[in-house]
Formats: sequence, structure tokens, C-alpha cells
Amino acid sequence: MTSGAGPADHGAAMAEDLPPLVPPWAAGLASLVIPGLGQALARSVWRGVLILCSLASIAGMLVWRIALLGHLQPTPLAMVRKAFELQPLFLVIACACFVASWVWNARDAVLRVRRRRGSPLLFALVLFTFFALGWQISEIVPSRLVTDFPQAMRPLGQVIWPWQSAVTREPQLSVAGASITVPKSPGPGPSADPVTAGQPHIVSVPSTGNLSTLDDNNQVVPGTTLAVTGTGFKPGVQVELWWVDPLRNAFRLRKGGSYLVVTPDSSGNFSVSLAMPYSIGPQEKGKDQPHRLEARQNLGFGPAHASEALVLTVQRMVETIFMGMMATLFGIILSIPVSFLAARNIMSGSPVTLAIYYATRTVMNVIRAIEPLIWALIAVVWVGLGPFAGIVALTVHSVAALGKLYSEAIEGIDAGPIEAIQATGANRLQTIVYAVVPQMISPFVSFSIYRWDVNVRMSTVIGLVGGGGVGFILVQYIRLLDYRAAGIAVWFIAVTVAVLDYVSAEIRRRFQ
Amino acid sequence: MLEVRNLTKVYPDGTVALRDVSFSVEPGEFLIIIGLSGSGKSTLLRCINRLIDPTQGTITWDGVDVTAAQGEQLRRVRRQIGMVFQQFNLVKRSSVLTNVLAGRLGYVSPAASLVHRFSAADRQAAQRALQRVGIADKARKQARELSGGQQQRVGIARALMQQPRMILADEPVASLDPVLAHSILGHLEELNRVDHITVLCSLHYLDLVQRYASRVIGLRDGRLVWRGTGDDIRRMTDLEFKEIYGEDAVRTGAGRPLVEGE
Repeated sequence: MTSGAGPADHGAAMAEDLPPLVPPWAAGLASLVIPGLGQALARSVWRGVLILCSLASIAGMLVWRIALLGHLQPTPLAMVRKAFELQPLFLVIACACFVASWVWNARDAVLRVRRRRGSPLLFALVLFTFFALGWQISEIVPSRLVTDFPQAMRPLGQVIWPWQSAVTREPQLSVAGASITVPKSPGPGPSADPVTAGQPHIVSVPSTGNLSTLDDNNQVVPGTTLAVTGTGFKPGVQVELWWVDPLRNAFRLRKGGSYLVVTPDSSGNFSVSLAMPYSIGPQEKGKDQPHRLEARQNLGFGPAHASEALVLTVQRMVETIFMGMMATLFGIILSIPVSFLAARNIMSGSPVTLAIYYATRTVMNVIRAIEPLIWALIAVVWVGLGPFAGIVALTVHSVAALGKLYSEAIEGIDAGPIEAIQATGANRLQTIVYAVVPQMISPFVSFSIYRWDVNVRMSTVIGLVGGGGVGFILVQYIRLLDYRAAGIAVWFIAVTVAVLDYVSAEIRRRFQ
Repeated sequence: MLEVRNLTKVYPDGTVALRDVSFSVEPGEFLIIIGLSGSGKSTLLRCINRLIDPTQGTITWDGVDVTAAQGEQLRRVRRQIGMVFQQFNLVKRSSVLTNVLAGRLGYVSPAASLVHRFSAADRQAAQRALQRVGIADKARKQARELSGGQQQRVGIARALMQQPRMILADEPVASLDPVLAHSILGHLEELNRVDHITVLCSLHYLDLVQRYASRVIGLRDGRLVWRGTGDDIRRMTDLEFKEIYGEDAVRTGAGRPLVEGE
């Protein structure tokens, strides 16, 4: 945009050789009334159109932003006042730039008529205004990087070093149980479990009763009180009391608002009384329901082993790599025939084949223009959530991408060796095997490996939209705010992609 | 042995590459074709083994009409005629040995050759052919790792594997320096003298033509304009020279043409 040689100059080169229609002052005045009009009268029509469009869109966006900032205000004037109150700096700068651009546009029109060149400052001003608008519209707040940093420290730290969550130690429980039948039956109820030497044991009296219920006022009606005695527990280690309903749902019992905990005496015995809890299991009339009372003692932690997050991440990572592999395989298989249809040297024989060539190229370009992530969204609708959707999405994209690369390799084949092999008396198939295939192998391997690399990289993110693989659990962990587990997934993705990048580059280098 | 009658080739774009060319080749000849670039030398050589289909005329090889030959019959003719190219036309990513063995493709069973299986006899023959051209130690290398001169030797070894009765050489030394040119043509001469293989060769440099040709034909604009022997080249008048190489050609040194714009 030097010396007023705006982008408009090319289109109007012919017209600009003609003299201006009006004197300089009239052009300036015209541009003050309608921006760009003066330039048009100076025979720079496209420059005028560009200026008019620029200023009109700036004005439009200013109105939109002011309306948005003051949208609760009743009158336009109040809106403007509110908007200036909220974001004074932005609006002052934007409005000043807008006014300056308008004035400068008039000056530009005068210069245009007088000296056949315009003001470069005008376009700088317009651009600056656009950037100011862009800053506000895209809600850029750099200060947040600093003010929000303390909050982000914890999750970021967990993502950066998540390995505490990579191992877990299972608590070693020592459990004794007693069967309780609900509702209260006339008999004595089930007898206590048989005593095993060296194992803890509990007895509940009675072993049948009613659960706590809620009355009409939502007040708890306590259930039958059970007297529980325990023997054979480890002395001095707390015992937790758990209730297991017929659906095997276990929950800790409470007494007076806090968890019920007893500590066995020095000979490992305890006794405690408790009310049967409130439970919302299914209640079948006239049928006994077997509940269980459990006394659990935590005797320490077992050996460390890989956590669920680590195991799941590794499994999903393997799934991801294989997704990429399968998509690449299908992509290669499908793109080979396609690539012949898209190779000009093969299809230039007749108008029909040439039409097929152009059609194939066009379809491939469209497919490649759509990101694999979008294809994954479509595939999820088609075949449902899971890795297969990801494979479908990546395959579709791979066919188009590989088809283009392969077809260019086919177009680049040297005809010399083909005629040399033909000259030896080889038949068509031999000619392909000895002259065409050797020329194709190197680009073929190189492009395929590269695509495998791309596909694995893509399949790590394709899970974000439900396409399976490690991205699927990554997005779950982030939504559950389990940043450590998410961090493990991120680490695996980063390492896998880096390793793959290196391996693929190395293989391609060797096949050069 | 080879009889070319009224050969004409018109390309689809209308270019007339050969006009009514007739000549015959006797067994054991070293026939050199001279002429400017674009005079039809390459087209002529490629018509003989039907890499290019002639438009009109007949080519007879040992009583077989090559121009009418199809399929198996054409391949039988081709395998008796070796070919050496200006750009060597090796499969650059295949090994030297594979390139040489490819010369047997016209003889071996198609199925076995598709999986690169060749008989022990063929492999030994390939080693011998490489030995003859002096690059037996390069058999395992990729063809692209070889220098130009070495690649052309592989090209000759490949032609040799066909046990050819004739070799077509399309400007075999045009991409090589003068020393290598003599060495390559020396190999062809040896095949011609020792193995009695007929050689049909197109060449640019007249000093090479004098040295190696037993007979010479000259092409200009697709027409056969000159016939003679290697010795005739030395005695060639300027008029004859200009008939082949055009009015603007200047004769220098040992008859090497210098053509304006070349």
C-alpha cells in the first residue's frame, strides 16, 4: 500500500488513464458525504468501492458492539452511554479511527484527483480499526493470563506431572459379615456366619428387622436396633460398619450424623448397637430380602500397581494406534484405484477419461478440505460412538489425501524404463512388475508411512467428538476435572506422537 | 536380415518423423545412423522393435513382418533385438543384477518372473554379462548409485542377456564424456566382431562414426539423404555434409558438426 497504489488499481487501470470527472475540492466534498464517491469520480472506482465497503462494515460492527454492550438500556443514547462506560478505551479508539478514516478518505479523494495518487495512511487507518474491532470482538483479555494463573496452577501442575495417579495401592480389608432379613419376620432370622479360625466374626441380635423409613412429614422413623458383637478383629484398628443391600450396593452406616466407627479392644472384640439404615432399594411385598451387615477393618495397603487411569490410557492408546493403522490400511487399499483415476498421464487418453479425471480430482479436493474431525462427527451419526467411527472418518480423509499423493507419484513415473523393459520382449504384466512397480515403491511407502503418522496423530483428537481412542477418555477426564488422569493421557499422546514422528521420518529417509 | 521398406511415421499431432525410408541391414554390420536432433533417428530405431507403431511401410525381420506382428509374435521378435538408450533407461531403484536379469524377460516363464525368480543359469549368465562389461562387482548395488558410464554398461549387459542377434543403440554415448564414449562403443564393437551381433546405432559425433561404422546412413527431416561407409565420412564433401546437417552447419575438426543454436 505504498504511494497509494492500492489493490484497486489493477482493475481500474484503463479508466484511470482518463481525466478525473470533477475538480479536487468537489471530489473531497463528495467523499465526505459518501466515502469513496470522490475516488469514484476521480475514476478510481474500485478504490472507492473498497473504501465504502470498509467504512460501512466498520460502522456496522461499531453499532453491533455498542448495541451488545448496552443491550439492557431503553434508548439508543443510553446504550451508547452504557457502552462507553463499560469499554471506554476500545470505543474511543475505534470511533476515533473511524472518524479519522472518514476524514482521511476525503483527503484521499482530493489527492487522487490532483496527483493521481492517494493516501497510504488511509488504508493503514482502516486496517488498524479492523484490528481494534477484532481485539474486542474476539474478547482478548491478556491480563487474564496473569490474574487467572494462580487458579490454573493446580490443574496445570497435575497435567504436567500426573504420575502420582499412575499407581494405586489397594487397601487390604479384613471383612466379617452377618445376614439380616428384611422385613422383620416372626422367626429368629438367619443364623450368624460360621466361625473360621483366624478370621474376624460378627453376630447381630436380632438378625431380622425393619429398615428405617420416612413418615409423611419426611421424618426418619428409625429401624430395628441391632446389637452387634465382633470377635477376632485386630486390636486397636478402627472398624467401619457397612450395609450391603440385596442389589449389592454397599454404603457406610452413620450414627448421629457421622460415620459409625468402633475400635476393638485389646483382645480384638467390640460390641455396638445400631439402627437399621434407610435404604431405597426395591421392596417386594411379602418376600424376605437378604441384606448384609459388614464390619470392615483396613489392615494397611497392598503392593503398588498401575492405576485404572494408567491402564485405561494405555489400552486406549493402543486402540488409537491401531485405529490409525486400520484407517491407513483401508485408505491405502481404497486410494490405489482412485489414484489411477486421478493421474493425468493415465486418464488423458479420451474426453471421457479426462472427465473422470477432473471429477475424481474435484471430489478428492472437497473431501480433503473437510477436516477429519468433521468427518468423525458425521461418522458417529452413521455408525455410532466408538473407534469404528474414527476409522471411518480417517479412512475417508486418507483416501482423498493418499489418492492425490499417489496419483502425483504415478504422474511422475519415468517412461524410459518402461520402453526398455518392453524392448526385451516382456509382456504387459512383466513390464508393470519390472518397470512401473519399482518406481512406485519408494513414494508409495513414503506417503503411506507419512499418512499413518498423520492418522495416529488425528485419531488422538478424533476421540474428542466420540470417535474412540485416547481422546475419548481424555475429554472424559477433563470433564470430570480429573486433571491427573487427563495428564496421563496427554503425556501418552505427546510421547506417542513424538516417537511416531521420528520413526516415520526415519523410515521415509531410508526409502529415499 | 532386416529390411525396411517405405517407412513413414506421422505422430498424432501431425509431426512427420519419417518419410518413405528404405534400407536393409546385413548380418554382422555396424550400421550407424547420423542426422540432427529431430531428424527421425530415434523414431526409426523404435519402429524396428515396434516401441512406436509406424504409419506406413513394412519392416521385415528374418522373413517376419514386424509391422504386422502382434502379441506373442511381436515379443519373439523383440527378444532377439537388444536395445541401448541415451538415458540408459535402467530401473534406478532396482539392483544392477535385477536390471540385467530383466533382459531375460522375453524368454523366462511369465509366472516365475513376476516373483523375481530366475534360473541359476540365467543368474550365472547375468554375472558373466556384467563381467564382460567390467562391472561384476556392482551387481548388488542399486542402479542409481552407478555413474553414467557404468549405467550404460548395465544397459549393454541387459541387452546381452537377450542373446540378441541385433542391438539397437539410440545415441548410446550422447550423455557421456568422450573417453567413456569410446569405452561404450568399444563394448558394442566387441559384441559386433566377436559375437557377430549386428549393431544399429545412432550417433552425433562424426569422429566416432568414422572410427566404428561399417556403413552409415544419414537422415534429414525424416528422409534418408545419405548412404556410405565409415571411410566415406572422411571423404564427405561440404555439400554432402550440408545435405545432412543443413545449410547453417559448420564443419570443424574431424568432421564434428557445429550447428548454430545447438
